[in-house]
Parts: sequence; structure tokens; C-alpha cells
Amino acid sequence: MNAVELHNLRKVFQLKKGGLFKRTATEVVAVEGIDLAVARGESVAFIGPNGAGKSTTIKILTGIMRPSQGTASVLGLTPWRDRTALAYKIGAVFGQRSQLWYHLPPDDSFELLARIYNLPKFDYQKRRKILIERFSLGDFLHTPVRKLSLGQRMRAEIAASLLHAPQVIFLDEPTIGLDVIARQELRDLICEWNKNEGVTVFLTSHDAGDIESVARRVVVINHGRVVLDDRVSNVRQKLLRAKVISAKFQEQPALLELPGVTVIERTGYSLKLEVDTVKINIEAVTSAILKAGRVLDITIEDPPLEDVIAHIYNQQKGKDSVAPLCAAC
Amino acid sequence: MNSLRKYAWIAFTAARSNLAYLGEVSSRLIFLTVILYIFLRLWQDTYDYSGTGKLGDFSLNQMLWYLTVTEAILLSGPKVSQLIDEDVRTGSFATHLVRPMSYPLYRLAMCLGERVVRFISNMFAGCLVTSVLVGPSSLQWSGFWFLLLALPLAFVLDFLGNFLVGLGAFWIEDTSGLLLIYSRGTMLIGGVLLPLELYPTSVQPLLKILPFANIAYAPARLFVNPTLTDLLLVLSRQLFGVALLGSAVYLVYRVAQRRVFINGG
Repeated sequence: MNAVELHNLRKVFQLKKGGLFKRTATEVVAVEGIDLAVARGESVAFIGPNGAGKSTTIKILTGIMRPSQGTASVLGLTPWRDRTALAYKIGAVFGQRSQLWYHLPPDDSFELLARIYNLPKFDYQKRRKILIERFSLGDFLHTPVRKLSLGQRMRAEIAASLLHAPQVIFLDEPTIGLDVIARQELRDLICEWNKNEGVTVFLTSHDAGDIESVARRVVVINHGRVVLDDRVSNVRQKLLRAKVISAKFQEQPALLELPGVTVIERTGYSLKLEVDTVKINIEAVTSAILKAGRVLDITIEDPPLEDVIAHIYNQQKGKDSVAPLCAAC
Repeated sequence: MNSLRKYAWIAFTAARSNLAYLGEVSSRLIFLTVILYIFLRLWQDTYDYSGTGKLGDFSLNQMLWYLTVTEAILLSGPKVSQLIDEDVRTGSFATHLVRPMSYPLYRLAMCLGERVVRFISNMFAGCLVTSVLVGPSSLQWSGFWFLLLALPLAFVLDFLGNFLVGLGAFWIEDTSGLLLIYSRGTMLIGGVLLPLELYPTSVQPLLKILPFANIAYAPARLFVNPTLTDLLLVLSRQLFGVALLGSAVYLVYRVAQRRVFINGG
């Protein structure tokens, strides 16, 4: 049994516009025919631009909303019909909304959650100890949530969502607003939990770092449809024809004019080039660079995943596949 | 059994967390002291002017104790409808829906836990002030026990009314207008400021069976004038009110849940 299964999922919202006496109803299609299967233990990044339909999909999967058409199943249960039964098996963290009790310390919230999830006392104590240690909550366990920093709060939120040992965890922008260090710590913890406990992770995020660090698979949704579903490692390879070469010279380099090569940046003795690897191979470009002047340093890298994702988002509605990314194409 | 324990713990946690806010307790106590003193002066003049020892079956002593209880009940009410309104507007409603618990019962447990603590502190302060102002001469122990019996359903009734108001947030942007109607209804026709015996005789029967009257008026009247007949009547009216409002909450909540639009891309 898969952790998550969606078949032809569709959700339409009715919006009423107009004044008091004359109102017209319009339909907004938030999700248009999504088919998706997520195996148990997988970690999936479910991403898309604002208004793409990803939050609507998550709300359907967590039982908050019903779809207009299609079917959804989480751990074999229909979310909106079996909401209470499903709640014992899933966890959810909404980055912008706190689930902890604002005036209570995390410890009291844990105690409360243990009762809500009917956790046996021994299991709860054991689990609590592990989570406090792994999420380093000891220093602020007895501090009211309202007095915690954002990083501390998010660690406590995710620990709380794992207290009842869920089989699937939905993370809606869990690292939003966090500094670099806090973000990386949180990503490491989520990865660890996915690997060691086999928790299926369903993550939405606008942060490419979250996707690369936490997920092994990325599903891109746009205009209510899935436009890409592949392994994160494959996304770069398939979509990227471009490489970025940065070179530092000892003196002003000669002009480089090669087919398939675009100068992105030229500052002082430094040069940054984008290379279309279909039109010209890397060896030819690096040879040309070495001939252009005395090279101090040279690096060859892929464009950031963010550019790849932005490129996918900008693809027009209705296309069956995503064209490769390359500025020089 | 597990469900009961769950909500009992929620109520207990709400009560405990409420004890932490001593500043809020102090401000309520100061308000109570001031308001009860004002009531005393007003009613003393009223009784002197009327030239009778009783108004609407209440002596001055009973009147002030009556108002002590109604004010203690009124001031103990948590902001249920505002919390629901906020949950719906901010999308926090979703965080409750992903947990294995009923949102209405969760809010009820939180409300009762908080309300018990607030009522006890209000009543303690009110009793202190009123004992100093007029003394406890009219009170009987049975009044105290009858009040305790009538309070739980009174609190549940008030919660249901506030919950219904809060559910309005699923349809309208701002429920403060609805809340104003409800809270003023409780004060004016619920006997908070005046016992219903002082209203025109023609409307008294109707006012006494409305849910508003069974939140503050009925328990307070039992406290100052305890009779077994009145207790049984109050409890049956409260049960009827709970059944009526409870059904309304159930139906409206079912429809409201289908209108969940939570912000977020």
C-alpha cells in the first residue's frame, strides 16, 4: 500500500463577485486532474508557484477539504471521511501557523498532545526523551512558546508533530523565516527522521535548499496540474543543458566569442560564462579560457536549482513536458 | 473513556494556564470592587426612594448578592467567539482539524477550564466586597450548593451561544456585530443588570424560558432565594436550552466545515 495516492483529483472553488443585489458566481479551478502515488518512506517535495494548487492538495490529503472530483487515499484511508482515524497516523506542520499552545511551554504542549493522541504513558515518556534530545529542546522546554525564537519554535513544532510516531508527515514551508543555521539543522533532523524511522515526508517549500536537502523526489505543480515528477538528481541532468564557468585571471583576459557561450558577468579580471553544452563542449570552452589569459582560478558548476525551478514555473499551461533550461539557447 | 480523559486534560491545562495570569485576575478584581460599590449606592438610593424593603421580591441585601453572582458569571466568560473568529480568519482552524479531536468539544473543554478558574476568583473577590458592604445575612448554605449545581449547564449554554456567534466567521468577515447582539442580549434580557422580576409582568414568562436567563439570572436567583422547585425548573430549562443550542451548533458546524478556505498557496 502506498502512503499517498491521488487519482484524477480536482477541486473547484465557487467565488461570488458583485454588489449586494447583483452577484455573479465564477469557478476557480485550484486543482485539475492530479495523479500521484507516494511510496511509504519516500521524501517528496511538492512545489509550485503561488496559487498553483499545492496547499489545496495538502488540505485535501490531511482531510481539511473535500475534492470536487477524483479520489485521494492516505495510508489506505479517505482523508475527509476518515479524518479522525487518519489524524492518529499523520503529522502536519504549517510553517506560518503554530500548533503549539502559545501561552504554554513546549513540555505542557507535549503532555497535552500525548492525551489528545491517547499515547500510553510509557511510550510517551520514551518518545518525549528521544525527541528532546534529538531536537535539542532541553534549554527551552519549560519556556512559554510565546517567548521562544522562531528557530526554537519550529524545532518544537516538528518535534510535537512526531510525538505520536506518525507514518506520514506533511510539512508546509517548515523553514520559512529561519536563519541559515537553523534551516540546515531542521533539514538534517527531517532527513534523519525520514531515514531512521521511515516516516514518509511530504514537503512544500519555496526554498530550493529544502528541496535539495530533504527530498529525493520533486513533484512540480502549476495551474493545478503536475508538470514534473522526477528524482531531484534527474531534474538537473534532464533540464540543464547549461553549465556556468567562472574564471579569474591575472590580467585583463582577451575577448571570448564562441558559439553557445554567453558572458553573464565581466568584472575586472573575472569572467562568468554560461555554456550551452549541446552547441559546444566544455573542453573547447575551457581551452579557449586558458588561451585568453593567465588563469588563477576556474570553476565549472550547474546553475542553481532555483533557476531550474523558476524555469519550470514559467512554462506555459498546457504543455505536456518542460523544455530544458538554457539562457544561451 | 479515552475521549473523556482527553477533554478533561484539555480543561485542566486551560485552568492551569489561566492561573498564570495574575495581572488579569487583579484587574478583574478591581473592576468588580468598583462595580459592586456603584451598584450598592444605586440600589440603596432606589430602595430608599421606593420606601419598600423589597423590590421584585429582593431585599437590598439579596439584590447586591444577586448582582455579585451575575457579575461573577459575566466576567468569567472567556472570549470563545473571538477565538473561533480568529481561528477561521487566520487559518489556524486547520491545525485543529488535523488532530484526532472534535473542534467544538476542544473549545468547550478550554472554555470550561478557563471559566472555572475565573469564576472562582471573581466569586471570591465579589463575596469579600459584598460581605463588607452589606454582610452575608440573607444567605443560606443551600443557595451555595444550588448555585454549584446550576453553574455547569449555565456555562455550557453560554459557550454554545458564543460558539454559534463565532461560527458566523465562516460567512462574514467580522463577527463583532453578532457578538454585540449576543452579549447585550445576555446583559439586558438575561438578568445580569436587573433581576427579571423587575421587568413587566407580561414579558417575564417569555424571558425566563429563553437561554439568556438561564446563564446568569437563574443561577444567581437560586443563590439568593434557594428552593428545590426552582432548582429543578432551572435545570430542566437549562437542559432544554443545551439540547436546542447544541443541535443548532451541530447543524451549523457541519455546514461551516465545508466552507473551510484556508489561506496559503
